[in-house]
Amino acid sequence: MNRTGANVMGLALLPSALFFALFFFLPIGLMAVMSFLTGNPVVMPNVTATTRHYERILDDPYYFEVMWTTVRIGLYTTAATLILGYPLAHLMARIKSRSLHALLLMAVLMPMLTGIVVRTFAWMALLSDKGVVNQILQALGFAPMQLMYNEFGIVLGLVHIYLPFMILTLTGVIGRIDERLEQAAQNLGASPIRAFIEVTLPLSVPGILAGSLLVFALAISAYVTPILMGGFQIMTLPILIYQQISANFNIGFAAALGMVLLTLSLILVFAYNHILAAVSGQRDLA
Amino acid sequence: MLSLKIGRFLYLAANWAVLAFLLLPIAIIFVFALNPTPYIEFPPVGISLKWFDKFFASSQFMSALALSLEVAALTTIAATVLGASAALGIARGNVPGSRFITAIMLSPLMLPAILTGLALFQTYVLMDVGRPLWGLVVGHCLVTVPYVVRTTLAVLHNFDLRLEEAARNLGASPQRTFFEVTLPLIKPGVIAGGIFAFIVSFDQFPVSLFLVTPGQETLPITLFNYLKYDLDGTIGAASVVSILLAALVVIGLDRTVGLRSYVKL
Repeated sequence: MNRTGANVMGLALLPSALFFALFFFLPIGLMAVMSFLTGNPVVMPNVTATTRHYERILDDPYYFEVMWTTVRIGLYTTAATLILGYPLAHLMARIKSRSLHALLLMAVLMPMLTGIVVRTFAWMALLSDKGVVNQILQALGFAPMQLMYNEFGIVLGLVHIYLPFMILTLTGVIGRIDERLEQAAQNLGASPIRAFIEVTLPLSVPGILAGSLLVFALAISAYVTPILMGGFQIMTLPILIYQQISANFNIGFAAALGMVLLTLSLILVFAYNHILAAVSGQRDLA
Repeated sequence: MLSLKIGRFLYLAANWAVLAFLLLPIAIIFVFALNPTPYIEFPPVGISLKWFDKFFASSQFMSALALSLEVAALTTIAATVLGASAALGIARGNVPGSRFITAIMLSPLMLPAILTGLALFQTYVLMDVGRPLWGLVVGHCLVTVPYVVRTTLAVLHNFDLRLEEAARNLGASPQRTFFEVTLPLIKPGVIAGGIFAFIVSFDQFPVSLFLVTPGQETLPITLFNYLKYDLDGTIGAASVVSILLAALVVIGLDRTVGLRSYVKL
């Protein structure tokens, strides 16, 4: 009887399985097909297969430049979120007071639940030529600085947006490291800093890797912040993809660029899952 | 011992600085929204609600807000039904490959959302259906179902199966057991997932980007287009409205199910 009951519950999977097949996997498959077609088969009767979209990406150094800019912004963002996020994640994992922990968690979740457009707007208000920071600089007698419309501004905005993801990933991993290991090192004469560097830090490497991959994957697919903080000056892969649709309506080329971004992300997803599996495996051993 | 104290001080100072970095930009939005001048002025020169007046009087912003709320409401209903039933199927269905199915259901969170939007847009072009409202809701569902699946699975994992057995041993039919025991017990997870779905849909940008029609845009897209040319307090007021909505949701989440269980990424 238990088994029949179980099978009936299995049917509950059907609607969502169908939904994902129809509206997620089929569209991504179609995007792959479109990236090899000369045009839209619905309106053009003589559509043929072609590799010209990919050849265009490979032949023109401009597209390599765009990809490299995207990856570079991703790397800077990842490094900065790691450096800024680690101390706070450590504090959150080690803090004893439950109410202080809840307050810190609120502080980290609050920006996460504030929309990306809204947060980018806040950075524009702070960093634009006549923004808050430059007004303060001028009031103090300094020359105004160019703080956005460049990669620095983009990275700063992205760091703010993805820092909570890094903190939460790190907190989970650091929280699972037995605090007594660090105490033991200290009892054996290590300074707190040395105990941290030689015990806690190496044990948190899986969290560092998992958080870094997540932030990198998110940062290379960002659209809003690079376009607004970059002031339309800096071209990244997502901006280029949207431009191919909105300005040129070149869906084949957009699909090919999409496949490039998809491949990049899939590689990261597999790496992420492997590291996550390693992290949870470690927890099982503890 | 002095170096110990300095180290401790640096550690706390670094954390305060990071907290300030996270929260100050959100605080500055409030300053900007309440400041009467049409440009950014710091320190603020006064307090006025005129940007809120302008926001609520703007037909462009109001129709965007209405569309966002409508899409978020439809998405929440659809994503809750799809996600909760999927989670039940995964946890109770005894279906082979449940780990793989879970990974599939969570996959839209791992891939760039802009690609989800692009792929759906291309599909709608090939289907020649234009950009219908349901198409936008479908896109939002793809990125919100994973949240419902995750929160419902979390509750199902901590669920004492003996409660169902007890009900059945006492003579309840499988249907009655489901509606009177199982469903009430997973309700917190489903509600939390639904709240998440609402806020993610309300703030959704990349998926909507390809799927809205010009002139009929959601609030984040309208804000984005406005930001491209203008930086006045109306944006601040619009931002404050969406921040307050998000804050309400966080408080709601904490009241219904507690925040701790949702931070496992």
